[in-house]
Amino acid sequence: MAQELRSINLVAPAFKGINTEDSPLAQDPSFAEIADNAIIDKRGRIAARKGYDVITTNKTVLGTETLRAIREFRDNAGNSKIFSVGNNKIISGTTTLVDETPGSYTITTDNWKMVDFNDSIYFFQRGYEPLVYSNSSSAVQKMSTLAGASGASDIPKANEVLAAYGRLWCADVTNNKSTVYWSDLLIGQNWTGGTSGSIDISKVWPDGYDEIVSLAAHNGLLIIFGQHSIVVYQGAEAPATMSLADTVAGVGCVDRDTVQQTGVDVIFLSHTGLRSFGRTIQEKSMPISTLSRTITKDIISLIQGETQFFRSIYSPEENFYLLTFVGQQTTFCFDVRGTLEDGSFRVTRWPGSIFTAYERLTDGTLYVGTTNGVSEYKGYSDNGVRYRFKYFSPSLTFGDASRLKILKKIKPTLVGANSATVFMKFAYDFGTSYRTTEFTVGNQQPAFFNVSEYPTYSELSSYGISSTFVEDINGVSFVNGTTGYYEVDQFLGEFTSHPTTGSGGGSVLNGDSYFNTAEDIYYVYIEGSFVDLTTLTPTSFSEFTGGELTNQRSLNAVGSGTTVVVGLESDINGFALSLQEINLLALIGKTL
Amino acid sequence: MDEDEYNIGIPSDVLGAGASTDAPTPEDPGFMDLFGDFLFGGGAQGLAGLGLLTGAYNRLGGIGERGLGLGQNLATQQMQQAAFRPYTITTPTGAMFTAGPSRPMTPEPMTPGAPNDGIFIDDGPGFTFDPMFADIRQGAVIDDTTGFTSEPLPQRPDGPSLRDFFNQFNGTAAPTLQPQGQQFGMQLSPMEQAFQQRMFGDAGTFFGQGIVDPSVREEQIYGQIETALDPQQRAQRLGLEERLAAQGRLGVKTSQFGGTPEQLAMEKAQAQQLAQARLSAAQQARQEQMQQAQLGQQYLGASYIPQAQMLSALAPGQTAAAQAQQAQLYGTGLFGEATASGIDALLGAGLGQANLMGAAGTGLLSGLFASPESAGGTEDNRSGFFRNIYDYITGG
Repeated sequence: MAQELRSINLVAPAFKGINTEDSPLAQDPSFAEIADNAIIDKRGRIAARKGYDVITTNKTVLGTETLRAIREFRDNAGNSKIFSVGNNKIISGTTTLVDETPGSYTITTDNWKMVDFNDSIYFFQRGYEPLVYSNSSSAVQKMSTLAGASGASDIPKANEVLAAYGRLWCADVTNNKSTVYWSDLLIGQNWTGGTSGSIDISKVWPDGYDEIVSLAAHNGLLIIFGQHSIVVYQGAEAPATMSLADTVAGVGCVDRDTVQQTGVDVIFLSHTGLRSFGRTIQEKSMPISTLSRTITKDIISLIQGETQFFRSIYSPEENFYLLTFVGQQTTFCFDVRGTLEDGSFRVTRWPGSIFTAYERLTDGTLYVGTTNGVSEYKGYSDNGVRYRFKYFSPSLTFGDASRLKILKKIKPTLVGANSATVFMKFAYDFGTSYRTTEFTVGNQQPAFFNVSEYPTYSELSSYGISSTFVEDINGVSFVNGTTGYYEVDQFLGEFTSHPTTGSGGGSVLNGDSYFNTAEDIYYVYIEGSFVDLTTLTPTSFSEFTGGELTNQRSLNAVGSGTTVVVGLESDINGFALSLQEINLLALIGKTL
Repeated sequence: MDEDEYNIGIPSDVLGAGASTDAPTPEDPGFMDLFGDFLFGGGAQGLAGLGLLTGAYNRLGGIGERGLGLGQNLATQQMQQAAFRPYTITTPTGAMFTAGPSRPMTPEPMTPGAPNDGIFIDDGPGFTFDPMFADIRQGAVIDDTTGFTSEPLPQRPDGPSLRDFFNQFNGTAAPTLQPQGQQFGMQLSPMEQAFQQRMFGDAGTFFGQGIVDPSVREEQIYGQIETALDPQQRAQRLGLEERLAAQGRLGVKTSQFGGTPEQLAMEKAQAQQLAQARLSAAQQARQEQMQQAQLGQQYLGASYIPQAQMLSALAPGQTAAAQAQQAQLYGTGLFGEATASGIDALLGAGLGQANLMGAAGTGLLSGLFASPESAGGTEDNRSGFFRNIYDYITGG
């Protein structure tokens, strides 16, 4: 009698990200053993990350070096200017990098930190006099040269700077790593007058001694990160009277550039992994949660092996916190939308990262710094180069680790991955020799409902006039079943007769349109007259698809073993790929 | 012959006029003749008269001398009777006022509790203090021309302090007073003297303290206040330090406050406290200075209280003594008057006797020296002899 196939459905595999801490046998199938170049997409699926698109076309200033930091400076008028540092220079621009280094100012290290503060951007690095740029001066200047600035010897040459509570705060100067300095109120260059001051916390460290690594402001608190401890001050709005609110011993911050604010939390890299301050409003204590429990050993290994520097970024648009170990070209992507049962973030890994700087612009655009200059995190290729997306499940036991499993079918369901070749891999009994089967995903150009539907009218195309469909039950019923109307280029509004003023404020222009409420007709102006839109001839019409491209394949499998690892690899080259589910059909054999 | 206005004897030339040593001439009878003639011719009568006159004369002289002697005796007696009678007024507290003959005085050093003569009044040309004594004892001089005159205290010696100035009265150098007749003495009781000395010494002490530079005392008081405040301020500092440590703010340095606002406020408050303490110390020092001066004045005044009280007690005593003296003087006057009356009567009787004898003598001599012309005879040598005597006596 034929034995019934046992079906194991891995719904949203790797939904919980990587887990290298728990035993593979006991793991939830929602974890992944490997999730490279992956993210958790908007539907909670594991998916390929985006690539980067190099913006810079002229990087002569940068040479062969990499950008070490990028910062968008926005002045009070809303003007934006991108600064970056690298190749021992202060650089501005994105397409063409421009050297902004002040004259007679020698830079030998690029470990700058830049902050916006009161219509200026400040550059701080240990051992260097801070630099300042403002649109009024249109040049990067040494801080001491500014009006009202303290003397060069009085300005802290700090490695860490924070703009918060109307002041600049800085710390970690040469030979003094226990003092936090704050500037005068709203005057970032004044460190000796007004309400400026400092606080020596050498007597405050809970462990007796520590060194300040980073500063953060959160919820009215000034958080001072040491290497192995954290000191929190409250009432930092008035630093002269701020007082100690909490201290945390045994947990510190590895690097200044790993601290990111999420708005509701502060995330930082400690020596034992990624951590965050849980937001406390009512509570006075400051609980700390570990966000990288699932990769603790991995991340500690990377921390200990890092020889260069760390970079991080928080992107609310992408819903992730990226932590890059530059020297090891490894980035961990923590999904910040939620946490697992143990409080950790879902995490994926981006191996081979060459990202050396991040900056999230005000509009949500994520800039990435590489040796190529400034890039934008977008698309699905690394500046035209494919990258490999990998998923490997933990060892699956099908509920009984002692019985033999004979894998018969692998039925993955993929979303996207247009025309991509997908490699399905599986192995038994913790083996590393994977059996591979491949298939190619079909081709489909997606059209999105109610986003940008562009019917093309032959009468309008020559004028470059576009139109936008507006759903309206009182509108026109089209052949595709929709009811509504198209706003063509410049919609002037509703009138009872032809308007005489165009969208430009003068005469009516081609493409100007209006809805005649008296006639209940939508008119568009073409070549000196208003024409009823319904009389035009749509030359083409985008069909609405059923959604994203979904591929569900059934692949034969062979072999047997007590545990099964299933993997999927695909080169990402221009199209997104999400793994919706993997359905495994296997025969359960004898007990071994 | 030498002129002797007090010699009432017969001039030698007069007496010698009829007793010339030259030998009588034949024309001149011999002395015996003459003498016989004289005796029998009335000479004896004349001699008797002369004798009476001489006796009257001598009696008158004796009466005068006796009168003089009686007067002197009376004066002497009255002087003794009217002489000042020493008396002593003793107050209930033991102070004494003594009026009596002068005596050499050597004041004892004014040691507390030792008897002291106090004020001495000389009865010489007027009431006067020995300047030296008065200067150093009382500071006031009473002389015979101006009476009681208060003079300011002698200038404070430049070198020694006022206390030393007062303390010199406790030294052993004592001026020696010369005996100057009658003197009056006031002497306080040992207790009063001790009190006076203590008050006097304390007054000097107070005055000495009153003229000390107030800044010294101010510093002293300020130091005391600072010492008193120091534990409190230290506790405040420690408390603040603990609070700041608990708040993790020990290391705060601000351009605005230096340290923390609390530290500035505390330092400011403590500085104000000390400033207030300094002000209080200054005020206290000056107030104490005034109090010292006032106490000095009070003690100085109090040091004179025994003397003043003694002088107050002196008035009734002096009144009684004056009454006794007045009665004494009155009795002396009566005695003098009575004695003078007796002397007058005695002198009058003597004078009468002398007059009687003189009259008798005059009568006897008048016959002897009767003029011959008036007797109808011729003037012989005898008559000439007695006439000359007569003329000599009568001044004719």
